[in-house]
Amino acid sequence: MEIQDLNKLKAQFVTRQVGNELVLVPLSNNVSNMKELFTMNETGRFIWENLTEKMTVDKLAEKMMQEFEVDEETAIKDINLFLEKVSQMKK
Amino acid sequence: MNLKIADFTIKLFSEKPFQLEEGYLPFVDGDEACVPDVSVECVSGIPDNLLDGCKSLFEARSEDQWFYSVYEYHAGLAFRIFNQQTRNSVQQIAILNETLNDWKIYTVPGPENDLLPLKYPMGPILLYYLTVNHEAIIIHASGVFDGEKGRLFTGFSGFGKTTISNLWKESGAKLINDDRLIIRKRGNRFFMFNTPMYYPALPEEAPLDTIHLIRHAPENTTKKISGALAVSKVLAFCIQNNFDKRFIENHLDFVNELCSVTSVYETGFLPDAGIVQYVKDHE
Repeated sequence: MEIQDLNKLKAQFVTRQVGNELVLVPLSNNVSNMKELFTMNETGRFIWENLTEKMTVDKLAEKMMQEFEVDEETAIKDINLFLEKVSQMKK
Repeated sequence: MNLKIADFTIKLFSEKPFQLEEGYLPFVDGDEACVPDVSVECVSGIPDNLLDGCKSLFEARSEDQWFYSVYEYHAGLAFRIFNQQTRNSVQQIAILNETLNDWKIYTVPGPENDLLPLKYPMGPILLYYLTVNHEAIIIHASGVFDGEKGRLFTGFSGFGKTTISNLWKESGAKLINDDRLIIRKRGNRFFMFNTPMYYPALPEEAPLDTIHLIRHAPENTTKKISGALAVSKVLAFCIQNNFDKRFIENHLDFVNELCSVTSVYETGFLPDAGIVQYVKDHE
């Protein structure tokens, strides 16, 4: 999944911050995926909340480096892992 | 006629005589002066083409059977309820106003012209839509109160909700219900309430102190969970029609607050009396 596609995906979820984490509930037009709730840790929540239409991996990595004091390699690795996991959410 | 369920007052009225299934009778409230949370007009017969052109919002169906469908209806909602015995024939249509507190239920009359406005699954649907507008949830769960603590047990079907609540009942605890509970906040405490079932049972309520996400296991185990994990796991067992963001937001806020003041455990258990003391010792 491309990072720009994620911004569209965000509109299909309702979220609530719980402590430093995030709970995500998908909007649904049937009962089949009612049990599909998701949670994100602090890093995942930061990425989710900073996804915008024009966000790129490089820009997001830069924001993460400032927020979490991690190096670029770690930030990009975390973002790619996030994209991989999130791509499973609306299947 | 008024029903009092989980502190909600439901006013039912009709120009025609109507009846309630026997599970509702213990919930009939004599206080007619009470201001209702929801008013329900019961009408005999379903007009043709009532929902023509309405946009479908939500479908509750299994592979071989429809339960109900939800439609956009002017500023409010409409429900098409399917008969669960004859399968897939329309039993009722309900029209709701924008604030979901004014219902008109059109019902196909029975063989003796009798009306059953809350015939399953209409009753639970009405209760669910009461919760989406209030600080309340309905959850698939059993609940018991031992005189000191109220405990709720939830889990997938077949994971032991009835078994564990019966073990508590045999130890002397009061059973609130073993299938479906409404949870509401009263003052600073959360309470669990039973709802009408297919059998007659008196209204029951108890404070709610702990929630156990249960499963059968080779030995008794329990682990406290918190934060987003607890919220998401408890919410997963709540009844939800998640086509409207407002409903989800309301339930998320409620469960978040519930889990912030109520201890949540993942509990595996053996189906014998030992689980009662085990839970008391390990909470």
